[in-house]
Amino acid sequence: MHAPGSQPKKRLLRLRLNGRWREDAVAERELLVDYLREVAHLTGVKSGCDGGECGACTVLIDGEAVPSCITLAVRCEGRHIETIESLATQGRLSRLQRAFHEKLGTQCGFCTPGMIMAAAALLRHNATPTESEIRVALSGNLCRCTGYVKIIESVQAAVEKPHDC
Amino acid sequence: MIADPMIDSRISRPGVPLIDGVEKVTGRARYTVDLDHADALVGRILRSPVGHGEIIRLDVSKARALDGVVAVATGDDCPFTYGVLPVAMNEYPMARERVRYCGEPIAAVAAIDAETADRAISLIELELRRLPAYYTSQEARAPGATLLHDNKLGNLEREVHHEFGNWQDGFATADLVREEKFSCAEVNHAQIEPHACLADYDPITARLTVQSVSQVGYYLHLMLARCLEMDSSRIRVVKPFVGGGFGARVEVLNFEIITALLARAAAGKVLMQLSREETFLTHRARPQSDMTLRIGMRRDGKITACSCEVVQRGGAYAGYGIVTILYAGALLQGLYDIPAIKYDGYRVYTNLPPCGAMRGHGSVDTRHAFECLLDRMARDLGLDPFAVRRANLLHAPTRTLNDLMVNSYGLAECLDRVERASGWRDRIGKLPAGKGLGMACSHYVSGAAKPIHWTGEPHAIVNVRLDFDGGITALTGAADIGQGSSTMVAISVAETLGVALDRIRVIAADSAVTPKDNGAYSSRITFMVGNAAIDAARKLKAILVDAAARKLEARPDDIEVVGEVFRIDSGQQASLPFAEVVKAALVDRGAITVSGTFTCPPESQGGRHKGGAVGSTMGFSYAAQVVEVSIDDATGVVSVDKVWAALDCGHAINPLAVEGQIQGSVWMGMGQAMCEETRYLDGLPGHASFLEYRMPTAAESPPIEVQIVESHDPFGPFGAKEASEGALAGFPPALVNAIANAIDIDIDELPVTPDRIMDALIQRRRQARLTSTLKVAS
Amino acid sequence: MSTSLGELRLVQPSTVKEAVAARFEHPGSRFIAGGTDLIVNMRRGIIRSDLLVDLSGIDELTEITTDGLDVTIGAGVTLAALAHNSEIAGRYRALAQAAEAIAAPGHRVIGTVGGNLCLDTRCIYYNQSEWWRSAHAYCLKNRGDVCHVAPQGKRCHAAFAGDLAPALLVLGAEIDIASAQGVRRIPLSELYVEDGKAHLALADGELLVALHLPLNPPPSGYAKVRLRGAIDFPLAGVAVALAASGPNVNSLRIALTGTNSRPFLVAGTEPFAGRPIDEKLLHELDRLVQKQVQPMRTTIASANYRRIAAAALTRRLVKKLFAEGAA
Ligand SMILES: Cc1cc2nc3c(=O)[nH]c(=O)nc-3n(C[C@H](O)[C@H](O)[C@H](O)COP(=O)(O)OP(=O)(O)OC[C@H]3O[C@@H](n4cnc5c(N)ncnc54)[C@H](O)[C@@H]3O)c2cc1C
Ligand code: SF4
Ligand code: FES
Ligand code: FES
Repeated sequence: MHAPGSQPKKRLLRLRLNGRWREDAVAERELLVDYLREVAHLTGVKSGCDGGECGACTVLIDGEAVPSCITLAVRCEGRHIETIESLATQGRLSRLQRAFHEKLGTQCGFCTPGMIMAAAALLRHNATPTESEIRVALSGNLCRCTGYVKIIESVQAAVEKPHDC
Repeated sequence: MIADPMIDSRISRPGVPLIDGVEKVTGRARYTVDLDHADALVGRILRSPVGHGEIIRLDVSKARALDGVVAVATGDDCPFTYGVLPVAMNEYPMARERVRYCGEPIAAVAAIDAETADRAISLIELELRRLPAYYTSQEARAPGATLLHDNKLGNLEREVHHEFGNWQDGFATADLVREEKFSCAEVNHAQIEPHACLADYDPITARLTVQSVSQVGYYLHLMLARCLEMDSSRIRVVKPFVGGGFGARVEVLNFEIITALLARAAAGKVLMQLSREETFLTHRARPQSDMTLRIGMRRDGKITACSCEVVQRGGAYAGYGIVTILYAGALLQGLYDIPAIKYDGYRVYTNLPPCGAMRGHGSVDTRHAFECLLDRMARDLGLDPFAVRRANLLHAPTRTLNDLMVNSYGLAECLDRVERASGWRDRIGKLPAGKGLGMACSHYVSGAAKPIHWTGEPHAIVNVRLDFDGGITALTGAADIGQGSSTMVAISVAETLGVALDRIRVIAADSAVTPKDNGAYSSRITFMVGNAAIDAARKLKAILVDAAARKLEARPDDIEVVGEVFRIDSGQQASLPFAEVVKAALVDRGAITVSGTFTCPPESQGGRHKGGAVGSTMGFSYAAQVVEVSIDDATGVVSVDKVWAALDCGHAINPLAVEGQIQGSVWMGMGQAMCEETRYLDGLPGHASFLEYRMPTAAESPPIEVQIVESHDPFGPFGAKEASEGALAGFPPALVNAIANAIDIDIDELPVTPDRIMDALIQRRRQARLTSTLKVAS
Repeated sequence: MSTSLGELRLVQPSTVKEAVAARFEHPGSRFIAGGTDLIVNMRRGIIRSDLLVDLSGIDELTEITTDGLDVTIGAGVTLAALAHNSEIAGRYRALAQAAEAIAAPGHRVIGTVGGNLCLDTRCIYYNQSEWWRSAHAYCLKNRGDVCHVAPQGKRCHAAFAGDLAPALLVLGAEIDIASAQGVRRIPLSELYVEDGKAHLALADGELLVALHLPLNPPPSGYAKVRLRGAIDFPLAGVAVALAASGPNVNSLRIALTGTNSRPFLVAGTEPFAGRPIDEKLLHELDRLVQKQVQPMRTTIASANYRRIAAAALTRRLVKKLFAEGAA
C-alpha cells in the first residue's frame, strides 16, 4: 500500500495519440482506458464493465481494435492510439459516424464510440465486409439498445460510401 | 376530453436522426463520469457480506482517521427512508440495524483518491449477527420464517386478489380448460453504462447539485430533500447523457443519496462510480416469477375465462413491488376480449437485491405464460395460432373488465402484417426437421394515467421559448436516456409550428431550468410530454399568427403557415418570413415563453377497485411477432433465424426511432427468452459480469424485420402511442411456441438455455423408451 | 469496490533469457503476454503480483516457421495471427477453428497462444471480485481451505477452458519450456495436471517458448458449445483428428476442454482403428467420453449438460470428419 495521496512510481510514456506524439508521466499500473480518459481527457472512450467483457472501451492500437481496459498504458510506448475523437476531421463526420447518426446506429450512445472504432478497424482490413463478417467483427461490443440491427445497417451504409473519409 | 385532430406529418417518412446523435457518434456526449471531476473526491461503498443480519457493531473510526479520507457516512447519518410509493418506503440509503441482502450499502467514504477510499473501506470494522436468509419465494413464505420486515406477515409485501366477471361460469361453459405452471428467471436491465453519480455541495451557499444517471430526476430531487433534510429549492438535479435505463434508473437509487450525503459531509464534490458488479447488485429489475395459469376456451378458440396466480420473488425492499404485482394482473387485460378473470398475486420479500421496474414492467412474465398456453390450447383444438388470437380481438373504443380504456386497437392489423411477412400460411408445418415458427402477441401502456405522487398538477408540462434570435427552445423535464425523447419533443414542436426541425433546440432535465417531469417510465413521455409539447407549440403559434395578422392587417383566422412563411391564405401575395413575424411578436411583450400541458382525465385513470390505477393508460400499444428458430437436438442450442414484428404505435412521429425501439425491445425479449438469467449463490450474484450475465452479442442476434402499424389514437400526440415496450413480451412466448413447433417439446421455464432443452429431450427419450418397453411387455 | 490494479512494475525484456532471468530474480512476479486473462484476474484480485514480465517485446516468440520436420509456433503469436495464417488453416484446421472461436476479435488481436495454453482455470466461486469472494468465504483455490463446489474433497475442480489446447493435443503438439537451466521439450499433454489449483506442470518462472506440430497431421476439427456466438468460454470444447482408410477409421484422437481441470486426450481410442464409423462405434465413443469427462458445478450451466454436450460434439465431429475424408 502506498501512502495516501502519494503518487505511485511513474514512467515517461511516449506515444502517438490521434495522430500527435505526446509524453506523459504514467504509473506503470495504469490501464490504457484510464490514461485516455483521465490524463488525455478523451472521455469518448467509455468503460462499461469490470474488464474485457463489453467492448465499450475499444480503441485502435496500430490500427487494430482492442479493449483498452485490459491493456496497460505503458505497454503502448511508441504505438499509435486512435480514439473516437480522431474520426471527425475538418468539420466532417467520418463515413461511419455519419452512417451511425443517420441510420440510428446509436440510441443511448454509450456503446457507440467502441462500436464505431471496432467497425473502423474492420473497414481498414476489409473494404467490403459481408453481413456475417460485420457481425463477427462487432461481436465483442455489447449494445443493449439497438438489438444490433441498425448498427449492422449503419456499417453497411458506410461501406457503400467508400469515397467519404 | 377533446380528441386531437390528426396533423398531417411533414417529417420525411423514413424519419430523422436523433437531435443529439452527433454528440454520440463523435464521443463528445458527456455521461456522468465524463463530467468535470478533476477536483472531485472518490466515493466508495461498504456493502453487506451477508444476506440477512443484524448489525452488532459498526466502527468507522479507523477509516475516518486515515489520511486522505474526507468524509465517512453510515446509516446513522440518514434516519430517513426513501422509495417509490409513499406507502411503501421501507429502505434506508445505508442499512440501519439490519441488512437484508448481500451487497446492501452499510457505510461509505469519500477520499482524495481511489486507493485511499478502498483502503478506508477495508478499515471499517463490521460485526454482524446472521439471521436466517431466504433466497426463494417458497422459503420466505414458509410458516415460521423470520420476517424481513416486522409488519409484513408471511414475508408478503402485497397480496392481490381480483375477480372480474363470472369466472366459474366461464370455465363451466368452456369446451377446453387447461392449467399450466410457468416460471421465468429474474433478469436485469444490464444497460451498458454502469451506475454513477456526481454530487457537489457548496457549504457557503448551502446548495447541492447532483448529476446522475437517473430516469427520474424529479423523484431524485424529492428524495434528496427528504433524506438530507434540505429545502428542495437549494437542490439542483441535472441529467447528463445517460447510457440506457430500461427501468434500472426509474427509482431513486441508494448510491445517489449516498453520494449526496458524502458531498455534504465532505463539503465538496464527490464522484461515485459503481463497478459493473455493483451495478448488478443495485438491480431493481424484473423478478423471478412463478405463474399458474388456467384458461377456458370454446371449440372456436374464444376464451371464456382465465385465472392466474403469480408469485414474484421481490427481493429485500419494496421498491416498485406493489406496482409490479398489480401490473402482472391488470395487464392480463387490454389485449384480448376476456369475459371473466380471476387474479391472485403475491409479492414476496426475500434476502436478495430488490427488484423493480424493467421494460414491459409487470406484464412480461404473465404474458409469456398466457401466450404459451393459448398456443398449446390451439393445438389441442386443432386451431391455427393466428386464428385463436383473432377469435378474441377487442373492438375499440371499449373498456376492459378492470376499467381500462382502449381507444385505438391495431392488433388485427399487426396479426395480418406478420402473418403475411413471415409467409406463415405457406410455411407453417412444412419446415424441415429442427426448424419451427412461433408467434405471440403483446401490448403495453402509453404512460400510467395516474401519477404516483398526487399533486393536482398537470401530468406533463413543456415550456417553449422564443427570443430575438429566432431560435425556439423547448424546455422539458423529460429524461432522454437514449430512447430519443428530446428528438420527439423537437419534432412535435416543429411540426405544430410549421418550422424547420433545426430551428428547435431542446433543453432537458435540469431542475434549475426545465419544468418538472415525472420521469422516463411506463412509456409515458411520447404520449404525455408529446401532447404537452404540441399544446405549447400551439400557444406559441397563436401568438405568432396574431403578430403576423397585425402586420399583414388580416384576421388571424386568415393566416396560413407554410414552411416558415406566414401568409394570408386567400391567395394574395402578402406574406412574412419567420424572422419578421418574430420581430413583430416581440414588440410590446419581449421574449416569449409559453407553457403547454397535458393531463390524463379521471375517466382514464382506472377502476375503483383497490390497485385499479395500475395498468390504466390513455392508450395501449399492440404488437404481434413471428419467430423462426432452428434447434440443434444434439447440443440443445437454439438459434433464432429471423423475427418479424409488427407494432401499433398509433402514429410513428419518427419512424426511424420507432423501428429502433421495436428492434431493441424484441431483442431484449430474446435475451430474457434465451440466455439471460441472474443466479444467486448463497445470496451472492453468480451473474454480476457480462461473461456470466449473457446478453446476446451481434454474432447470434437475428435480423428483426419491423412493420409499423398506425391505428391513430384519438388522444395521442398526432395519434401516437408508445413504441418501445409493447413488443418485448411477445418474444419469449413466440420463441417457446416456435420450439414446440420445431421439436414438439413444451418448455415451461425461461430462459430456454441449451441445458433446459437437453433435459427435456432426454426426458422425452426416456419416456419413449418406457412406453415402448411397456408395449413390448403387454 | 475497486477494479483497478494495485502497485505494479513492468519489466520489458527483449530475449527469452532475460525474461526467464527477470522472473527468477523476482519471486511472485508473473509473465504477461496479451494480458487478456491476467489483467482481468488482477483487477478482480484473484491474482496478485507487483511485477510483471512483459513478453510482447521478445521477437523470437512471435514467429511461425516451418522446416522440413515440423511447424513451430511461437508462444507470443497472437490468436488472430494464428487464425489468419493460411498454412495453419489449411493443415491444422482444428487449431484455426479453435483460435477463431476464442473470446471476441479484440481479444484475439492481443491474446496469445502461450497465454491461452497457460490460462488460469475457471469457476463461478473464483472468477469473482474480492468483495464477493471474501463475503462468500474464500475457497481452496484462493486464500481459503474449502472447495465450495465439492466441499468433501481435497482438491479444486475449477475447469480449464482454453480453446487451443484440445486442438493442439489431437495434432500431437510438443512444447518448448525455458527455465534458468535451459530449454526442455515435452509433449503438450504433460503440461497439464488434473488439479484446478495447480493445473500447469510448470516450475515457478518457467516460460513456454514455442510449440511444434508434426507436418502431416490427419484431418482435424474443433467445436465448442456456448450460449452466445462470441465472448463465451467453452462449456465444453472438443477437438478431433481422424484419419480414415477406406470405410474404416485409421487413427482417431479426441481431446476435450472446459469439462475438467485440464484439457486432455481421451484415452482408449486406439481400438477404434480398423473399424467403420457406425452407430455402434459412435455409441461406444459416447460412453467413452461421458466416462472420462468430469464436469463439476463450476459454471452456471449444469455439469450434466457439459458432459452430454461434450459427447454430442464428439460424435458429430467424428461423423463430419469421416464424411469429409470419404468425400
Ligand atoms: C471476455 C473474455 C472472453 C474470453 N473468452 C475466451 C474463450 O472463449 N476461450 C478462451 O480460450 N479464452 C478466452 N478468454 C481468455 C483469453 O482472452 C485468451 O485465453 C487468451 O488467449 C489469453 O492469452 P493472453 O496472451 O492474453 O494471456 P495472458 O493474460 O497474458 O496470460 C495468461 C496466463 O498465462 C501466463 N503466460 C502467458 N504467456 C506465457 C508463456 N509464454 N509462458 C508461460 N506462461 C505464460 C500468464 O502469466 C498468465 O498467467 C476470454 C477473455 C475475456 C476477457
Ligand atoms: S472448484 Fe472449488 S476450490 Fe476450485 S475455484 Fe471452485 S470453489 Fe474454489
Ligand atoms: S470496459 Fe473494456 S471491455 Fe468493458
Ligand atoms: S446504443 Fe445504448 S448501448 Fe448501444
